[in-house]
Amino acid sequence: MTTPAIASPGVAVSRPRGRLSRAWAVLRQVLRRRSGAIGIAILVFFTFVALFPDLLVGPLETAVTATGPSMAPPQPGYPFGTDELGRSILNLTVHGARISMIIGLLATIVTVLFGVVIGIVSGFVGGRTDAVLMRITDFFLVIPTFVLALILAPVISELFGTEGEILGVRITLLVIVVVIGITSWSSTARIIRSQTLSLKERAFVDRARVIGASPMHMMSRHILINVTDLIVANTVLVFAGAVLTETTLAFIGLGDPFAPSWGQILNSAQEAGAPGLGAWWYMAPPGASIVLVVLAFTLVGNVLDEILNPRLRGRQ
Amino acid sequence: MRLPLRGRIAIVTASAGLVLALLLPAASATAADPLILRTGSTQTVSGLNPWQVVYVVDFEIMTLNYDTLVGFGPNVDPVPGFAESWTKSADGHTWTFKIRPGMKWSDGQPATSEDARWTIQYVLDAVKKGQTLGAGYLEPYLTAAGVTAVSAPDPQTLVVTTNLNNPLLLQSYVPILPAHIWSKIDPKVAATTYPNNAPVVGTGPYQVVEYKPGQFVRLQRNPYYWGQQGAEDQIVITTFKNDDTMVQALKTGELDYARDVPATQFDQLKSAGGPITAVEGVSNTFYELAFNCYNKPIPGGGASTLAVQDPAFRDALGYAIDKQDIVNKVFQGHAQVGSTQVTPFQAGWHVEPTDVRPFDIEMAKSKLDAAGYPLNASGQRLDKQQKPIVLRLSWPGDPSEAKAAQLIVAWFGQLGIKVNATASDEAKLGQQILPPEAGGKAQFDMFIWDWVGDPDPTSLLKVLTTKEIGASSDSLWSNADYDALYNKQLAETDDAARHQEVGQMQQLFYDQAPYHILYYPSQLDAYRTDHFGGWRNQPTANGTPLFQFGSFNYTYLTNAQAAVASPSASAPSASSAPSAEASQAVVSTPAPVASQAPAPGDTTSSNSSPLLLLGGLALVVIAVVGILVIRRGRASAEEE
Amino acid sequence: MSGRYLLAKIGQAIITIGLLIVLNFVLFRMMPGSPDRVLGRNPNVTAEAIQATRERWGLDKPVIPDQLVAYVASIAQGDLGYSFVYRGASVADVLADRIWPTVILFGLGELIAIVVGVSLGAYTGWRRGGPIDHIGNGASLILYATPYFLIGMVLLLVFAVGLGWFPTYGMTTVGEVYSSPVNQLADYLSHLALPLATVALGLIGQYSIVMRSSIVDTLGEEYITTAKAKGIQDVSVLRQHALPNAMLPMATLIAINLGYVIAGAITVEVVFNWPGLGTLTVDALAARDYPVLQGIFLLLSVSVVFANLIADVMYQFLDPRVKA
Repeated sequence: MTTPAIASPGVAVSRPRGRLSRAWAVLRQVLRRRSGAIGIAILVFFTFVALFPDLLVGPLETAVTATGPSMAPPQPGYPFGTDELGRSILNLTVHGARISMIIGLLATIVTVLFGVVIGIVSGFVGGRTDAVLMRITDFFLVIPTFVLALILAPVISELFGTEGEILGVRITLLVIVVVIGITSWSSTARIIRSQTLSLKERAFVDRARVIGASPMHMMSRHILINVTDLIVANTVLVFAGAVLTETTLAFIGLGDPFAPSWGQILNSAQEAGAPGLGAWWYMAPPGASIVLVVLAFTLVGNVLDEILNPRLRGRQ
Repeated sequence: MRLPLRGRIAIVTASAGLVLALLLPAASATAADPLILRTGSTQTVSGLNPWQVVYVVDFEIMTLNYDTLVGFGPNVDPVPGFAESWTKSADGHTWTFKIRPGMKWSDGQPATSEDARWTIQYVLDAVKKGQTLGAGYLEPYLTAAGVTAVSAPDPQTLVVTTNLNNPLLLQSYVPILPAHIWSKIDPKVAATTYPNNAPVVGTGPYQVVEYKPGQFVRLQRNPYYWGQQGAEDQIVITTFKNDDTMVQALKTGELDYARDVPATQFDQLKSAGGPITAVEGVSNTFYELAFNCYNKPIPGGGASTLAVQDPAFRDALGYAIDKQDIVNKVFQGHAQVGSTQVTPFQAGWHVEPTDVRPFDIEMAKSKLDAAGYPLNASGQRLDKQQKPIVLRLSWPGDPSEAKAAQLIVAWFGQLGIKVNATASDEAKLGQQILPPEAGGKAQFDMFIWDWVGDPDPTSLLKVLTTKEIGASSDSLWSNADYDALYNKQLAETDDAARHQEVGQMQQLFYDQAPYHILYYPSQLDAYRTDHFGGWRNQPTANGTPLFQFGSFNYTYLTNAQAAVASPSASAPSASSAPSAEASQAVVSTPAPVASQAPAPGDTTSSNSSPLLLLGGLALVVIAVVGILVIRRGRASAEEE
Repeated sequence: MSGRYLLAKIGQAIITIGLLIVLNFVLFRMMPGSPDRVLGRNPNVTAEAIQATRERWGLDKPVIPDQLVAYVASIAQGDLGYSFVYRGASVADVLADRIWPTVILFGLGELIAIVVGVSLGAYTGWRRGGPIDHIGNGASLILYATPYFLIGMVLLLVFAVGLGWFPTYGMTTVGEVYSSPVNQLADYLSHLALPLATVALGLIGQYSIVMRSSIVDTLGEEYITTAKAKGIQDVSVLRQHALPNAMLPMATLIAINLGYVIAGAITVEVVFNWPGLGTLTVDALAARDYPVLQGIFLLLSVSVVFANLIADVMYQFLDPRVKA
């Protein structure tokens, strides 16, 4: 079942083309499993929706451009009904895909970057550095992170200022990204660190040290490459968590009504009294989208974990 | 395997503990069922100390507990309250109040003019020393009336001396407190940290007997109340976290009255009809688009462009706001288009300005051009310093404000003015707009916020005066003519002249536009008629029954489910009598509704610390069970 | 050996708590906006009134060091301060009032979720590949992917609003006077049902999935094969051999989960208007009620530190393999 490319973790593989063909091989393995296939299918669908919202439903409707009746159930012209401003829920949900995914993606990048760097450095360097970094990591694990997120959001938006955009992303969204990053990196760091610890003892690392390679070289060339599998599987799961966290934060009210993510749409629904009015159409599309996307990431992440994680290999 | 067994035992013990915990808070009171009026709002009660009132719900509780010197009638007109009649001297500087004889506090002690004297003197003492009382909302009523001295020559007479001649003394929302209790409290503590725990002692129709901070307040009938007794034995005011749950509770019958029903729900309730009446009351609130009109440079702060200081610029922008559209889209029509700083509630004083600005983008553009704000080649509007105008817009978080902001962003965008809109919150925005006089940098261009008024327009007129910069003024606008008119009307003795001056102030305000008043949102309430009847609106023509001024409307409620009327009180109540001197409606017998059980439960303070400790321990136990097993897991995992 | 280990661990815990206290203070003071600005919109407020408020709350002194020192000193004396919002009430009182509802809701929820989640996960893992596995696992995955508040909103819509079987808010019918303890218990339970179901469902999703994969792992282990070869009954194998070891990674999840559970706590309480620490947190945040926020934060983090400490200590006695 396993191809030579996915060799025992002791070998530091560094063939670029081999990397790519390996990625395809893994992808094929993911698709071969049913849960993996479902997950990938959902993700492809939502990625498409997130990339081309204007193509599908036109520009994001605003309070000014809304033309529909207020809080109307699904009907011809408004397949998902309308919100209290008369905007089509379909339009909002499709545009929300882009926003939710962007926030999720950026937050994941921040989280994984932090977690991996700290995890590798801490595990590899060891000693006092490790103790200090782990202290900090443990600290973040102890703090109720959601409460931390609630507090950090206004603090960070003070730091960033509130207007403008960076690369087309509104500052308010970036604030959420930073907040999620700060509160989520610690578990990634822990996981990477323990893998680094076990890798450190392997022969190839000793050989490199004997040759006189610098710590930086060893960390980036040898450790990092072998931790990649773990990172990939972990990243996908982190993405799921980031989308969930963003949704929850937006529901509480930290979202941006001008750039509505799915969580923000649900917040608006709650504010407009949708549950009480029985306006299920306001909540079902964004809600279902959230569930589907998180589900997809989880499925793919689990499958990747199965495939890439050495412990489970050989168990079919 | 040792651990699973231990784990199981731990789980069983913990769950047994939790089941016990469920039963712990149970009070064991059993009683004949009192008739309870359940009302709800989304405001959190600040506490029971009347000096700490901030929100409408706080005022409501205060006005149920205590009487004001003069009551508020069906049209917010002065009617007998603690005092049953009053006269004013010819020069208007001496008021003589006749205190109702035979009044008793809810603890049975006699209530006389000495209590009123003590209360007013307490305020005067603080004002003289330059102190604020509590949250600072109450003593301004007496200072606005110009009260300088008070005396109680006999138990039924109260004499108040003022240095201004205006009717504001009759509208002072100051509760008359029982001197026999409050005089024993250290004056510094009385208005600040004194909790005024239940049971509260007052002369109002209902007093608080139970208070759970952040959750609800329970009031019980005052057996000694001098006025009409309402049908309800108890009133419970609940705080809801969101208005949707509140409306749900109303629909299922768990709630009798809901304040501030969202507009979307309101229409549904109104059309559903049945036992729920949805009432749209006239607004005593205005929401404004405020500009930073501070006319001195602020290093490191201030507005982003001098344009906002220019009345011509602000005026032009006014043509780019479709107020009717906001009313339609944001409130489903349940609001009035905004105009002046005098609300529709203050009906007699509101004067529509001449030359109301229509919504006309083209006219806005030409006015901007004419005022010296042309467009540049890329379609951006330039100010007189040749900089593109980019305005910041903020609001304290109300979703209706957010929606109005979205619309404004789009409209101003059509004029070539970019607007950066961000949601904020009360604390942050409040800090941001402080002028140098208050230690701030006034870092804002525009914001959307609201003001709530009194029956008299004075308080809202005041926020636009120069004197208030550094205190309540948030537009930081300074106009000498406006200030002069304000001072004139404050001391004006001729009613017609005062009306004229207030009218002029409104026109001046509208033309200069430090604010664009966007809308007056209607007060949307809803209540059930199958539990209680006898609901009356205040004001009669276009108000809502509760959460207005005074508490008489609670006393008119009848039990809709009983054929027999409520105990006591036949005489027509105070409100129908004109101000001068009603002979009072007196309750027939002060017989309390005797079968009352003592209110169940007590207030928070008694058992808190051990409870807190127990709660914390429980949390720890649960966490330990989990973490204990982690260590096991981690150890075995590391072995693999 | 164990004495020194114990002392070391206690020392670490104390240092951590000390850091927490300082962080607690600094964090909340970094929030923009001052509580004296949240006084509603008072047209009558004077500059002196605002200044007096600031003085009374000690807000006019510099944050560091005056306010910080004052804060640490009062914590050392066991005084958590007074709430800004609930004027006159001490923070300890405010917290004490709200802690029970949260403990009840989440304690019971966790309990139910552990029992049901473990059983469900174990069973689906045992019967891997079968129809029950697919349905159970699928349901768990969907629950796992659904934010708590969404579960809550759906349950509210269907069971409270739609069918009217349960009340829609709060922990008790407010203002009710009960004719017997049984009635009161019944009222509590009917209010508890939906929020509890929400919490339990959310957690079950996670626990059953992890349990399932854990069982799948364990089943591949050699000692299981050995047990089967010895002829031990299927179910016994499951219960005595597979289950205990499969529990371990799942147990890891319970603690790591605490962070997410708190997020769920806040949103579920908001949806159902449950008067616990969650709703208290959201309100205190909006009103910048620093003392209450600091109290909650401290309570939660100190609990976890203590729990870690106790677990460390007890572990010493339980498992001789573990060294400091």
